[in-house]
Amino acid sequence: MTTEAASTSIPQQSRRGEVPEAAVRLGLYRTMVLSRTYEEAILREYHADKGPGFDIGKGLVPGEMHLSAGQEPVAAGVCAHLTTDDAVTATHRPHHLAVAHGVDLRKMTAEIFGRETGLGRGRGGHMHLFDPATHFSCSGIIAEGYPPALGQAFAFQRQGTDRIAVAVTGEGAANQGAFHESLNLAARWSLPVVFVVEDNDWGISVPRDAATAIGSNADRAAAYGIPGERVENDVEAVYDAARRAVARARAGDGPSLIEVHTLRMWGHFEGDAQGYRTDLADVAERDPIPRYEEVLRKAGVLDDEKVAQAKADASRRVEDAVEFARSSAIPDPADATAYVFTEGALR
Amino acid sequence: MTITEAPQATRRLTTSKAMVEAIAQEMDRDPSVFYLGEDVGAYGGIFSSTTGLLERFGPQRIIDTPISETAFIGLGIGAAVEGMRPIVEVMFTDFMGVCLDQIYNHMAKIHFESGGNVKVPMVLTMAAGGGYSDGAQHSQCLWGTFAHLPGMKVVVPSTPADAKGLMTSAIRDDNPVVYIFHKGVMGLPWMVKNPRSIDEVPDGEHTVPIGEARVAREGSDVTVVTLSLSVHHALDVAESLAPQGIDVEVVDLRSLVPLDRDAIVASVAKTGRLVVVDEDYLSYGVSAEVVASVTDRDPTLLRVPPQRIAVPDVPIPYAHDLEHAVLPRHDRIERAVRTAMGR
Amino acid sequence: MTDVLFPALSEENPDAEGVLATWFVTEGSAVTADQLLAEVQVDKVSAEVLAPSAGVVHLLVEEEAAVPQGTPVARIE
Repeated sequence: MTTEAASTSIPQQSRRGEVPEAAVRLGLYRTMVLSRTYEEAILREYHADKGPGFDIGKGLVPGEMHLSAGQEPVAAGVCAHLTTDDAVTATHRPHHLAVAHGVDLRKMTAEIFGRETGLGRGRGGHMHLFDPATHFSCSGIIAEGYPPALGQAFAFQRQGTDRIAVAVTGEGAANQGAFHESLNLAARWSLPVVFVVEDNDWGISVPRDAATAIGSNADRAAAYGIPGERVENDVEAVYDAARRAVARARAGDGPSLIEVHTLRMWGHFEGDAQGYRTDLADVAERDPIPRYEEVLRKAGVLDDEKVAQAKADASRRVEDAVEFARSSAIPDPADATAYVFTEGALR
Repeated sequence: MTITEAPQATRRLTTSKAMVEAIAQEMDRDPSVFYLGEDVGAYGGIFSSTTGLLERFGPQRIIDTPISETAFIGLGIGAAVEGMRPIVEVMFTDFMGVCLDQIYNHMAKIHFESGGNVKVPMVLTMAAGGGYSDGAQHSQCLWGTFAHLPGMKVVVPSTPADAKGLMTSAIRDDNPVVYIFHKGVMGLPWMVKNPRSIDEVPDGEHTVPIGEARVAREGSDVTVVTLSLSVHHALDVAESLAPQGIDVEVVDLRSLVPLDRDAIVASVAKTGRLVVVDEDYLSYGVSAEVVASVTDRDPTLLRVPPQRIAVPDVPIPYAHDLEHAVLPRHDRIERAVRTAMGR
Repeated sequence: MTDVLFPALSEENPDAEGVLATWFVTEGSAVTADQLLAEVQVDKVSAEVLAPSAGVVHLLVEEEAAVPQGTPVARIE
């Protein structure tokens, strides 16, 4: 089933800081709206039947849930430069990246709902989404999504293509060994990787300043001899930085690091009371989507009709995916031990 | 040894040379096979796992890595996902601690978590074992730990022919396969000489099925189930006890995942006496699993209590006499066999 | 009749003795050209000795024997 590709045919801009074409800007906005609409639907479905109180294992969507509201600029800005032949590895908070990269919404939602029609036949769940069609994967272990991205990039390079791998983690992951090993190895072997760090200020409840010895992870790139850039949660700033990093990788010039100072609007996980958080009062006004909407309205790219259309289109696609998931079969417990090994004939 | 066609010409090789031959043949056959790890290039592998391969295949396919196991095992995973067939070496099983997440949470789980949609056809090679005073952090076997964690096949060859056959099968398998070779079976010129580390190896294509044990010596009185270097020691003990009227059957497991439980049960059904010899740690591991394979099926098969000869639950000592007191060597194996026989 | 010599492994010390570490063939067996005959060692360096020609091999030294570099270790007839 084909999906409405999110910004895969956007023409590239050539100079730093240049304002993208109107079509690009509209595409970025629509991708962010689709992503937010998706997360709002998952939020709704997740909480619908957890009560009374909050029983994490209960309901249609059990388990942990890590939603990406506020981080849409990262996904939209980076994935605008990718095709579905490029690889993306993401984290426990993967939905915005999956949506922006073009993962099939029905199969993704069915997986989140634990259904047989899901990407992983219900075996993986929301933190373990694997989509071979778009080379998308994610992992629940902090920083451990970086190393496999190296391998995908290595294979693309060996296969003689200009395909790349984008590896995304949070700012907390930048203190994990895998992060440093990956940057060094990718740099040493000049692999076509773009490393993205989503600095949303909070490693669950621990603020970045309490965990990280330096002010910006972009500065860590220099330790590995690669370019590093830190931008704010502005989709066009992300788009601009990603354009350069992606072009560099495709040209065979090696990896780069982009850190985006983004915004985690909701809890680390759903059910997180966020009592530790000191910036909640600012969250609403820092929401990147209304801000970008305002920018585009002023530029004449958006009007009431286009805004409504974006929201209606998003809603239609998201509710279709949710309905597909809800009406899909639950996996048979008799098959609980299937799929450990592939039993194809030896080559 | 499984022979896939009419008896083949053979010649004698060390286990390490047989392993290298399998890798070379598969690399000739399939251009997507490549080998990476520390010191696998010019050095040829610290335990001679890749001797001569750099000269033959070049640095694009025999690749020295930085000391970054998490990164390069992950690289192997990503390359395998995208259609290549990497062989990734972790120098010692003891180093699994620095990279276990990529191994057990990623390499071993991606196929399952993706509902079978994503395959990870890679081989993870590792050297294991003690007996030459390398101390607690460089002498472990740990195959029980890998076998315990779901999602990866585990093979442990004891002979040159099996080293070649299992490596060929491991490379061709579309699942992740952990291939653990005991340093003492490799026939390394700088370790104590082991006559059983040199043996006949079939020329040409040679595969051994993963998940199939082998009766290394047929016998009727007592079953010794074992693997890796301990197979050699069990055979030595069997040969010395034969003239004394004790007929030992030695079963070489060859694979831990899948485990050939049928072979274990069949042998114990015949002899009624079981001794398990395992150089990994005693508790919560391979030896208990072998015993359970019998008792789960039919505990009445056992005429006498089963015995487990393994490394006790201690870090492996450095001093030679201390180390050899904890390793499951000839004296402990013989004592266990005699106890099983009541003499 | 062809001599199979212990290879010169140590350039700095051509008179150094090495060890014939492992025979891969037995006395009197038929060998093909380039077949692996033995592994030898000088200090920490080891090397393979391959048959220079086909024929029947006769072993002149035992395993673990100390052998000067350049000495015949086998003959092939």
